[in-house]
This record gives sequence, C-alpha cells and structure tokens, in this order.
Amino acid sequence: MARLLVLLGTAAVLLGANAALNWWVDPFGEFWKPAAVREARDSQPPCLVSHEVIGGEYLPFKLDVFRARPTRTFVIGSSRVLKIGAWPGERTFANLGMPVISPEIVLRELRALPKSTPRQTMYLGVEAFWLNPSFKGFDVAPGFETRARYVLSRSAFGESLRILRRAPYVLLHRWHKERVGTSCVVGRSRPALAWRLDGSRVWSFELDPKTYHPAIDPFTTDLHKLRTGIYADWHELSAQRIRSLEQVLAFARARGWTVVGFTPPDGARYLRFFASNAVIGPRWRAFAALMPELFRRYGYRWLDFRDAGSIPCRQSDFVDGGYHTDAACSMRMRRRLDQAALKARKT
Amino acid sequence: MLFNSFVFLFAVPAHRSRLALIVVASYVFYAYAKWWFALLMAASTLVGFVGGQLIEQTRARRRRKVVLGLTVALLLALLGAFKYAAFVGGNLTSFVGVITSHGFPGLHAFLNGIVLPIGISFYTFEGISYAADVFRGKLPAERNLLRYAFFISFFPHLIAGPIVRYGILQPQLLRKHRFDADRIRSGLLLFALGLAKKTLVADGFATWVNRYLDDPASLHAFEAWAAIVGFGFQIYFDFSAYSDMALGLARIFGIELPWNFNRPYRASSPIEFWRRWHVTLSTWLRDYLYIPLGGNRKGERRRDANLLATMGLGGLWHGASLNFVVWGLYQGFLLLATHRLRKLAVRVPPVVAVGLTFVVVMFGWVFFRLHSAAAIGHALRALAFGHGLGQVPGHLVLLIVAASAYTAVVPEEWTWDLKSFGFARVATVGALLAVAVSSIYTSHPFIYFRF
Repeated sequence: MARLLVLLGTAAVLLGANAALNWWVDPFGEFWKPAAVREARDSQPPCLVSHEVIGGEYLPFKLDVFRARPTRTFVIGSSRVLKIGAWPGERTFANLGMPVISPEIVLRELRALPKSTPRQTMYLGVEAFWLNPSFKGFDVAPGFETRARYVLSRSAFGESLRILRRAPYVLLHRWHKERVGTSCVVGRSRPALAWRLDGSRVWSFELDPKTYHPAIDPFTTDLHKLRTGIYADWHELSAQRIRSLEQVLAFARARGWTVVGFTPPDGARYLRFFASNAVIGPRWRAFAALMPELFRRYGYRWLDFRDAGSIPCRQSDFVDGGYHTDAACSMRMRRRLDQAALKARKT
Repeated sequence: MLFNSFVFLFAVPAHRSRLALIVVASYVFYAYAKWWFALLMAASTLVGFVGGQLIEQTRARRRRKVVLGLTVALLLALLGAFKYAAFVGGNLTSFVGVITSHGFPGLHAFLNGIVLPIGISFYTFEGISYAADVFRGKLPAERNLLRYAFFISFFPHLIAGPIVRYGILQPQLLRKHRFDADRIRSGLLLFALGLAKKTLVADGFATWVNRYLDDPASLHAFEAWAAIVGFGFQIYFDFSAYSDMALGLARIFGIELPWNFNRPYRASSPIEFWRRWHVTLSTWLRDYLYIPLGGNRKGERRRDANLLATMGLGGLWHGASLNFVVWGLYQGFLLLATHRLRKLAVRVPPVVAVGLTFVVVMFGWVFFRLHSAAAIGHALRALAFGHGLGQVPGHLVLLIVAASAYTAVVPEEWTWDLKSFGFARVATVGALLAVAVSSIYTSHPFIYFRF
C-alpha cells in the first residue's frame, strides 16, 4: 500500500507543481489577471497593458474596459478595428473588438455588458468572412478540460521555464511595470504588443521604433492564407451567421442604441484578389450588397469602407501591406463613424 | 475516448468489483464517442450470446454449422456495413461510373458519411472466436448475459485490443476478487509505463516521421529509409504502449489480459515476427481462418494460397483500403518465402537473420503507412535511391538508434516483475507518469484506434 501511495503521490506532486507553475507564469495568457489591468489603470500617468498579460482573455479584458470607463460609444469587430481608439482626452469611448471574433461572440459580449448602462453608440465592424459557414470564431470561454490540459501541459511548462530564464522576477511577481520606448507598460520580459486602457491595440513598432519594426509580409503567402484560412470553402452566405447578425442589431435596437455598421478597408492587392477570385468574389459582392439593406431594416446606417480611398486612407496606411491599417487611417475611420452617428442621432 | 486523453484519466471510475458496474462503465466509456456506438455493441453482444446458446443446443452437426455460419455472418454484417460498405460501394460506383459516365454523387456522399465505430473490428473478432469455440466444443456456451457482455465490452481492450478469447476471460470472471494493493500498483505501473511509452517515445517518432512521410514526393533515400524505419518504431511503440495500458488497466480490475507484443524486431524470420507482433491477432487469424482453410495439411501450394488469403484478409482487417491488402499480401509472401527457404535448408547466422527480417519488415510498412498508389510509388522510388541520397535526418536516426538499443537490451515491459519494484523505482515510474500526463496536450491519436 505504501508503494502504491508513493507512485500516486510522486505523480500527483509533480503534476501539481507543474500546474502551479503554469498557472502562475501563465505563459500563453490563458487566465484573466484583472489586477494587472488595475495596476496599469492606477498608475500616474496610466500605463499600457502588455499582450503577455492579456493573452487570449479578450472577453473579460474588454468587458473590464467597458465597465471601468463611463462608456457611451464603443467599436466592436475583428482585429481590423483594434486600432480605432479614443480621441485625446476622451474617456467615454471603448474598443471592444477582439481577434477572430464572430457575430455569435459579438452577441455574447453585448449580452455580458451591464444592463444598467446608458444608451450607447455602437460602431459595428462587420467582416465578409463572418458569412463564411466554414469560419469559426475564437473560443472565448475555454472549458475545464482545456484549462486542465493547459496547466498540466509539458509545452506550457517548457515555455514557463523559458520566461523564468528571461525574467526570473516572474517567480515572485507575475508582472511588473516597464518602460518600452517612451511608454510605461505593465507586462513581463517581452512587453511589445500592448493594449491601451480604452481597449485599442498598440503595435510593438509604435511603442519602440528603435527596437521593433513593422512585420512586413513578403507578400508571397498572404493571399494563399486568405484562400485557405478565413475565406476557405466559402460557397454560400451563412444564413445562421446572418441570423446572428440580426440578433445583434435587434439587441441594440431593444436597448435604444445608435448603431453604425461598417466593413474595415482592404489594401489594393486584397481588393483585386476579392474582385477577381471566382469563388470568393461573388460572395464578397453579395455581402457588400446585403449589409446596407440589413442595417437599414433595423433603422441603422452602413458605411462601406472596403475601398480605403473612400475613408480616405492611402495604400501606405496598411502596415502589413493590405490587411491592418495604421492608427491614423483607423482614426480617420473613427471620424467618419462619429459623423454618421451624429447624423443618425439628429434624424 | 482514448487512454491518452485527460477526460479518461479524470473520469474513469474507481475500482469496481462487480461485473455490472464494469459493464455499465464500459458502455458509458464507449458511448462517450457516439451514443449509438453502444447500441451497435449491444446488438453484436446479443448476436454472439444468442448464437452461442443456439450452437450448443443444436445437436445435428450440419445444423450447428448453419447456426455458426448465421452467427458469424450477422457479426460480419455489422462490421461490413460500417467498415467496408464505403470501400466496396465506393469502388463499385466508381467502376460503374467509368463505364456508364454517371457519377452517383448522392450515393458517394452517403457512403462517405458512414462513420466507423471504434473498436468494432476487435469486438467482432472476439464474438466470432467465441461462437467458433462453442461450435468446436472448446467452450460451454455462456448462460450469463452479464458475463458475456463483460467479455465484449470490458473497456481496457475494447478499442484497440488485445483480442481476447472467452476461454481466457471466463475463469477470471468466475473468481471472486478482493482489494489487492500490490495488484493495483502493478497495474498502475504497467499503465504508467505504457502511457510514457506512447506520449514520450511513439509521439516523439510521430513528429519526425510525419514530417517526412506526409510529403513522400520530396523524399530522398536517407530520409525515406529513416522515415520508414522510424514509422516501424512509431507503430510498434504506439500499439505496444496501448496494449501495456490495456493490460495494466485490466489488472487494476483484477483481470489478466493476453499479451500482444514481445520485442518483434528481434525476430529472426517473418514467421517469428508474427509470433511476436500483435500476437492476439496473428493467433486469431491462424486458429479461425488459416487452419479452417486447410492450413498446411493439404500440400505446399494450398498452404501458400492459404497464407496469402489469411494475410491478405488480415491486412484488410486493418482498414478498408487497398494498401492494407497489399501490406497483408506482402506479409503473406514473406511467410511463404520463409517456408520455402527453410525447405531449402538455407542457413544464415542469427545476427544476419535478425537484420534481414528487420529490413524486410520495415520495408513493408511503406504499404501500411502510405495510402495512395502515387505516395507509395514516390516512397519506393526514394527507397531505391531513385531520388538521390539526400541528407541524413540526424534527429530521427538518433531516435532510431536509441530505440533499437533499448528494444535489443530491455525486455518487453509487460514481462517486468513490477510487484517487486521498490520505493525508488516506483517513484521513478511515478515521475515518468507525471511527465507522460503532461505530454498528453500534444499527443497524437493511437494508430490502432482507427482499426
């Protein structure tokens, strides 16, 4: 019996230690750490929060952003809206977007907002690929098994050890304030990609241009990635996704919110690709035709930003050559959205 | 649900001494994948149970044969419908389609939608062996449905064997079991060693082997040989690990299952290889296919034909795909070639015999691992130096050398005297278990789980 206990005990102690270390270091950001965000918020002047600390916990982070501010206007959508931020000094704006989001996740996020909030203005960034039935959104609420796998996993343990080698202080403090370029960032060891406290994203090369550079894609595989990734097997507009989008609009209307819908812009290469692709092209055009009508049905406006020139943005405003816009282009988008919202409120 | 999954590790119930609880737990375990899998297993169980009773009750030999035939046909019908219908139907419609220029897309979609219930190949063979043993008078028909249901559904061997015969299990089911910490520890140790073998060794091979064999067109000779030998070790460690885990789990529940592997790459001939590799399948094929076909009793030519038929069908058992048939026929050819060489009294030193057997067995894995004719063609050309020598894949070769040394020196894990393990060795295996569990995150599915 004693040896049986030794067998089970050894395994349990080692697995427990592995799990404890992985939970503490949390190398891939799988656990929500509100205290880190609080520390950034309480700093004078407020700090940014490193992506290492947020990781995949977008939903609780964005909900926290919303609650912590007197939010009246927010933008929600995919990673392509993440550069839309507050105007200098503006405290009533929040960016609730997150990467690999889907209409179902948008609805889930909206339903999780406090019920007693004042009337909101929502800028809803709709992606064409949302209407691809094969596209799957990010798992914003991983279950027990996923978390157990994570804390017990050897690969997470290896990454935890790598982080500890780089930043031994993590063993005592899970994060700390660092200066990156001219900004203060709450993070650890590699506080490059970061989040502002309004929920918008800051690229590493914006934080510290001397150390980091825009990751310029050599443009050899990006269109292939579109074809085989988020736009793969797109043969019809997903009725289910359209229903989910309508649920989002119905939810906003029930709350008396002002909504402006838009689709984020694409670079010229991407536009040519979408227009010429025999499979994606027709769906992409059908999406563009459907959206204004869908939003109008709920009494909302739609801004078609697919062509960046209409914002106006230049080709050089796409930091990766076609997909993500820089801050200035995103804020010009914000101005157009603000104007549309103002008109909508007046009417 | 696989043994190398977290749900299994956390959700498996504690030791239960009663058959009913184990049967219920086994059905829950099986239904975890798809609920109707359990219904299918229940149907197979009823066919085998009722068939056994009818065989025993029928006096006239000819009638008994008919009842046996019906029982086996019903069991095989279930297997055929779910495992081979898509293969046969797909090939037939393609053939008819070429002649008539009709594509039959609806039928193709229907056939492609058929899901293979995991473990059906294993429990069908167990049901057939039971019916045949009752027919031969080796076994009395089981009158207790619960015991028979236990035999078919007992979860450690349900998904990927070993293929158990009722004659081995029945006496153990009649014995009363008491809590025995030594037995449980021994079972846990074997399970832990199996899990470690799977997640640390077999999966280590898988990562490298898949890198090469997923794109056979890009292979050169050194890479091709290393990849195919690596696959030979991968499948051995993978499947023998599953067998060790099954044996260990069963032991925890007080059941000793038959062993399946005994360092097969030490074999000095293909005949010996099949006495060391997937032994519960090879003996099943011998007893219920090769011998009924006539075995070696009707002359050499008939023996050779029987060997090819048995091994060809054995190959097809692994999967509804022509490459498995080719692999089976290749193995059959190796067996009959060995018989012929023995007759010629060809003598080779034992080391050379082991080396030659190793090479021809490893070469055969090409037909097992690669499914399309084009992929097999690319690999064969690369193995025959048709694509040049290429570079030696250092990591994989290192793994192969380590695995060869380990299997050459260390006996199969199920033979270890685990009950005599002291505190230090028990703690070491405990540590190994922890590392193995933490590796489940990146684990590959068991290869034999598909069959």
